[in-house]
Amino acid sequence: MNTDDLQLKRATSSALLSLLNLTALPVIGFIGLLYVYSKTKPNTIDRYYAVVGIKTSLLAGIALLLVTLLVILLGGFESPLTWVYVTSYFVIVHASFILFATWTLTRSWTGEKLKRQILSK
Amino acid sequence: MRETFTKGMARNIYYGGGIFFLLVLIGLSVDTVRSLPKTDNSQNLTETVAAGKRVWEVNNCIGCHSLLGEGAYFAPELGNVYTRFGESTENIKAFIKYRPVDGIPGRRSMPQFNLTEEELEAIAQFLKYTDGIKTARNWPPNIQG
Amino acid sequence: MKYESQGIAKMYFIAAIALFVGQILFGVTMGLQYVMGDFLFPEIPFNAARMVHTNLLIVWLLFGFMGSAYFLVPEEAERELYAPWLAKLMFWIFLVAGGLTILGYLLVPYARLAELTMNDLLPTMGREFLEQPTITKIGIVIVALAFVFNIGMTVLTGRKTVINLVLLTGLVGLAVFFLFSFYNPDNLVLDKYFWWFVVHLWVEGVWELIMASLLAYVLIKVTGVDREVIEKWLYIIIAMALISGLVGMGHHFFWIGAPAYWQWLGSVFSALEPIPFFMMTLFAFSVVNKRRRDHPNKAAVLWALGTAVMAFLGAGVWGFLHTLAPINYYTHGTQITAAHGHMAFYGAYVMVVLTMISYSMPLMRGKKAANVTAQKLEIRSFWMMTLSMVAITLLLTAAGTMQVYLQRYSAEPLPFMIVQDKLAIFYWLREVAGLIFLSGLFLYIYSFFAKGKEVEFIAEQAE
Repeated sequence: MNTDDLQLKRATSSALLSLLNLTALPVIGFIGLLYVYSKTKPNTIDRYYAVVGIKTSLLAGIALLLVTLLVILLGGFESPLTWVYVTSYFVIVHASFILFATWTLTRSWTGEKLKRQILSK
Repeated sequence: MRETFTKGMARNIYYGGGIFFLLVLIGLSVDTVRSLPKTDNSQNLTETVAAGKRVWEVNNCIGCHSLLGEGAYFAPELGNVYTRFGESTENIKAFIKYRPVDGIPGRRSMPQFNLTEEELEAIAQFLKYTDGIKTARNWPPNIQG
Repeated sequence: MKYESQGIAKMYFIAAIALFVGQILFGVTMGLQYVMGDFLFPEIPFNAARMVHTNLLIVWLLFGFMGSAYFLVPEEAERELYAPWLAKLMFWIFLVAGGLTILGYLLVPYARLAELTMNDLLPTMGREFLEQPTITKIGIVIVALAFVFNIGMTVLTGRKTVINLVLLTGLVGLAVFFLFSFYNPDNLVLDKYFWWFVVHLWVEGVWELIMASLLAYVLIKVTGVDREVIEKWLYIIIAMALISGLVGMGHHFFWIGAPAYWQWLGSVFSALEPIPFFMMTLFAFSVVNKRRRDHPNKAAVLWALGTAVMAFLGAGVWGFLHTLAPINYYTHGTQITAAHGHMAFYGAYVMVVLTMISYSMPLMRGKKAANVTAQKLEIRSFWMMTLSMVAITLLLTAAGTMQVYLQRYSAEPLPFMIVQDKLAIFYWLREVAGLIFLSGLFLYIYSFFAKGKEVEFIAEQAE
């Protein structure tokens, strides 16, 4: 496999791992992303997607786990309003991350970067 | 998708998977129908209960209530109403019978269906029979339905 | 438009949109009844309004599917429709039968309607979504058979493509599974079990085939991506739909007295049900990303993407939310179900029909795409309807969570009606969102009549 193909393969793997980290394989997907990142060189398409994936995962971790945990701690386990907020918030934010990761995956398939600079710096 | 995964393979998964799981579903359904008598309270399915199911249907009770969780969510669950009403068919009949014709100002109210005594008895027996169905984990979770 | 008989779709689409308006009008009526219980009581009690709301939905979606098939199939099969006169005749039969049934719901008490239509001879009425009088059900079967015959003959004597064969399979399934609506045993558990053979196998089974093929067709047209690629996607999507959805039906058998193994089977397989919807999103994103042309009909492209995304959210995410048995134990039959139902129906089936209308209507009116102003308004109506549906879903989810907690989960469960009173704020906000949806729908209709500058074409002519 030549370098371009290998890079493209790593780029799509990164995008896929980021999506898996959000869905079926949390944490494991993230570890995979770190591994792929370690194989990439600066200013390449695979590095780009590894970075996007890692940033997406970290941001999702904060937005989904940390915020939810804080709400539960502040709102109290026994209050129905806590659960009203947590359910609605978690579902919509989680789904938004999945949709973003899905779009990223389709962009990686064609070897293009995202049109706007989101989470890549 | 990769070139190695051809349209022919996708088509085979569709036909193969579709037919296989349709057969699985049919098999499971046969088994389900066979083992229903253990749970479905059919030993108490009298003619009155059957008549009560008709009363339930032709008055579109499902349009507001849920029964074993299915239906509309505008009015209380009735799968366990017999228990909730103190295991009394008389209480159920009285409730249905004395609904105000013009409703209750500002609030939800069940319509007055003008049921005959016979129909009242039938629907009450039907709800009693429904309460006797053995649902998994005794669903609903508590008496409030 | 290559074939004259494709134009028959127009009358079907107009009827569909008109009935859609009726559906939403009754929707906002019911929304108000949730907080003002005596609104229109006893003239239009909630149960009658709900029947009209859900039955109009089913009828107009069927009009939409039929119109879509009449537009799509001749072009794919590369021949005129087998019997255009039959399609026109069935349109009027279906419209009159549907109209009379709705009037029946509204003008006489339901019990009287049952009597008038001799329900006793073959009792099928009074079950959710299958409230139609038996005679109407027979009418639906006749219309469906004539329709499937017409479409089937067109496909079988013409060019067979993956798209029209999958569509045909879906439509045959639709007609076949409806036959379960005539089976209404006295045994309630048995009744419920086979009731799902209509409801589940429609919306989580064969309708997905219809939806996926319509979406695939529009995406081929607006993106110009190679048919081979799209057909491969289509096969794998519907394969996953059937693999997960057939046994996934078990998630409806948790609490109706069916054997305990359904708890496991239903949970595991229905947990896979989001996959086909997710793949639709991936598919739509991917082919739009790889598009070979920028189609002048931007509104249609937006509807197609919107369908994929909203179907994934409504059917996939909101379905998964309460599909596992230990969770469903608490949420079954609460506003959580209502939240899922609203977004799933809108995202999957309403939007796919509107996608087809958006793509085909300009062609039937002799243009490649609607004018600039009309498209702008249509796109605005897309956002109004879609975002208000997201709001409705979130508010019902909030209401449902509160309901589950107070009525099912807390140490001292409260009675149903007490809990309903505590949910009033969510219901009021939902009503506001419903009214925005209705305004969006009016704007959508207005967009068909808006005048403006015609879109300019890039050298390559889009089809």
